[in-house]
Amino acid sequence: MKQIVLALMLATASTAWAQKVGQPAPDFSVPDVQGKAVKLSDYKGKYVVLEWTNPECPYVRRHYNSGNMPTLQKELGAKDVVWLTVNSTNQSSSEFKSPQDMAKWMAEKGASPKATLIDKDSKVGKLYDARTTPHMYVIDPQGKLIYAGAIDDKRWATEASTKSANNHVRAAVGEAMAGKPVSVAATSPYGCTVKY
Amino acid sequence: MRLLLLFLFSASVFAAPVKTPQVEAELVAEREALVPGEPITLALRLKAIPKWHTYWRNPGDSGEPTRIEWRLPPGFAAGEIEWPVPERIPVGPLMNFGYYGEVLLLTRIVAPANLAPGTPVTLRAQANWLVCEVNCIPEEAELSLTLPVARSAGTDARWGKPIADARARVPVAAPGGWAFDARGEEGGASLAIAPPDGVALKGAFFLPFDEGKIEPAKPQALSRESGLLRLALPAAAQPVGPFDRVSGVLVLDGKAFTVDSPITARFADLGLAFALLLAFGGGLLLNLMPCVLPVLSIKALGFAQGEGGARHALLYSAGVLASFWALAALLIGLRAVGAQLGWGFQLQSPAAVAFLAALFLILALNLSGLFEFRFAFAGQPSGHFLSGVLAVVVASPCTAPFMGAALGYAVLESGWRAFLVFTALGLGMALPYAALAASPGWRRHLPKPGPWMPRLKRWLAVPLYATVLWLGWVFAQQVSFFHEKKDAAWEPYSAEKVASLAAAGKPVFVDFTAAWCVTCQVNERFVLARDDVMKAFHDKGVRLVRADWTRRDPEIAKALAALGRSGVPAYVLYRPGRAPELLPELLTPQRVLEALGG
Repeated sequence: MKQIVLALMLATASTAWAQKVGQPAPDFSVPDVQGKAVKLSDYKGKYVVLEWTNPECPYVRRHYNSGNMPTLQKELGAKDVVWLTVNSTNQSSSEFKSPQDMAKWMAEKGASPKATLIDKDSKVGKLYDARTTPHMYVIDPQGKLIYAGAIDDKRWATEASTKSANNHVRAAVGEAMAGKPVSVAATSPYGCTVKY
Repeated sequence: MRLLLLFLFSASVFAAPVKTPQVEAELVAEREALVPGEPITLALRLKAIPKWHTYWRNPGDSGEPTRIEWRLPPGFAAGEIEWPVPERIPVGPLMNFGYYGEVLLLTRIVAPANLAPGTPVTLRAQANWLVCEVNCIPEEAELSLTLPVARSAGTDARWGKPIADARARVPVAAPGGWAFDARGEEGGASLAIAPPDGVALKGAFFLPFDEGKIEPAKPQALSRESGLLRLALPAAAQPVGPFDRVSGVLVLDGKAFTVDSPITARFADLGLAFALLLAFGGGLLLNLMPCVLPVLSIKALGFAQGEGGARHALLYSAGVLASFWALAALLIGLRAVGAQLGWGFQLQSPAAVAFLAALFLILALNLSGLFEFRFAFAGQPSGHFLSGVLAVVVASPCTAPFMGAALGYAVLESGWRAFLVFTALGLGMALPYAALAASPGWRRHLPKPGPWMPRLKRWLAVPLYATVLWLGWVFAQQVSFFHEKKDAAWEPYSAEKVASLAAAGKPVFVDFTAAWCVTCQVNERFVLARDDVMKAFHDKGVRLVRADWTRRDPEIAKALAALGRSGVPAYVLYRPGRAPELLPELLTPQRVLEALGG
């Protein structure tokens, strides 16, 4: 009898902390670099990757200069995954990039997301509780969050060694598309602080 | 010439500081030379320009902990970085943990015993760090330090003291006298902090070692509970992995200790629903306890004579509930003004014990037929209500299984939750008697009145007499300080003793008991005193400590509260390297042996 009671208590104890992953991804509407409003709900029925970025951050630069991020964007884009790059740097910050500058930088790096979003009021960043750049989220076609956290498992890498890291986004999308549960659904993100 | 070179090398220590625009980095040593076979503390010195900072082992919401990769000659061993306590660095709505200005990150290096004195040795390291103001710059440096080798070495004139100061700021485990306990809460966990006597705490905050467990930027509310401080630790908004340990640095009024406490699923982690369930069950079981059963049986016999009815049942239940509420209000009220009380507090006063003894004596005499006590209220509504009160009064020396945990929850929660728990307890206790009273169907099964009744009453008086004698013994203990022949195997309790024994790696079994606690006495005589149990304690080298709560004792009350209990009995087994194990309130020899064997 006591075992049952203890087991029941443990069960309730472990569900006390709710996971963000597994919950529906909140909708948002924010302008892209061309000024067009982009909504998450526009892409219901497709896999969506949200990438928080800031060109001033050395971690972001590492992933772009090495070609790591642009390669992944192209690869997943070819599988009909919607990639949205979000810059939530607040317009009051010294690191704020105008839509034109952001578009130019993305073009220089050979990036190819579906859209680059300028979240100048930091609304979407706060909605998703984005902490770092980069900070990655993967949403399934039903609108559920299936991955949140770091881009890969090599926090400290050079541009050269970054390619050998285990990419969590590639893994999550691959597993989900194959109908398998996402094995690594949440990791601690690494990078520079989002400039709210 | 060689002599001159040797002299030059042995008299100086070569280090090459690396300078970036933001940081000056170098390796420094606490002693002037390496001594073969002995450890030496080296430090990575990072000095950041104003407003820039580097990071702690858990950088917080973002950032990067500093890393050192040692490149040492063969035979040398290097330990992990020993981190001085960092600062909290808010960045907008987010939080980092790190260091402004200069920081010395310490590492112990051990030189091999076969190192030949005379030839200097160069120790190298690659250090990587992230230095940030608003923007961040990852940096790295190849550093080296050349030290002479000698048979003995004094403190380095320049860096000896700064390294000693830095070591003083590296947190270590708290000394004996401190107790910490982590329990799960809605939305995270909380850490109970019990300081040694005489230490008043003003503030506290917690820095977790691991990311993805505790939210770095959320405030950590501090509340006080009879001698304890409780620090709320909100769970990470996006947790990574299970949150089952509270592991990190606790900073208290300028002191800093490492804490590593499992969040055990003890009864104290109960949600309200489970506490209510346990309280109800405990109330039901209370009817079977030796204090209550004889008295209630007598009352139940009244049904054979035609008493009973729904009104009787309701009034009885009301009496029980009202009594529990009164006790709850008294207990919580007294605790709110700081009294170190727990359940059973009513029995810690000799006057209450004397009153109970007298009451039981009257009841026993009545049952024996020696004393005709015409209960003036018998048969009247107030009589039924008072029977309920009487039932609770006679129940007070006893606790039932599940009650301890439920009461522990109630007393530590306070407020409306506590009253709900006491209500559940009251309902559980009232139910059997009230059900019997209210349903004529059951009563038909009771034997018809006859000459067997006075005989049965005389038999039922026996446990009551025993209770009177026992209460008399308790009273004597409380009043005259007369203690039973001390059991040599058991040492008296102090928090300091338990902590120092545990720190010395000895298993300790603590028996929280009181003379007025029937369950405690039963457990002690029939389980703990058994030959096989005592042998098992002896064989495993377990030190036996008895915490006697017969009289008020704030230290014991505090220890019980830290375990999530509010009363006795409580049995705790401390083993080195493992979480303390709480045993159930009703012990069996098998359970104790199982706990020891594990």
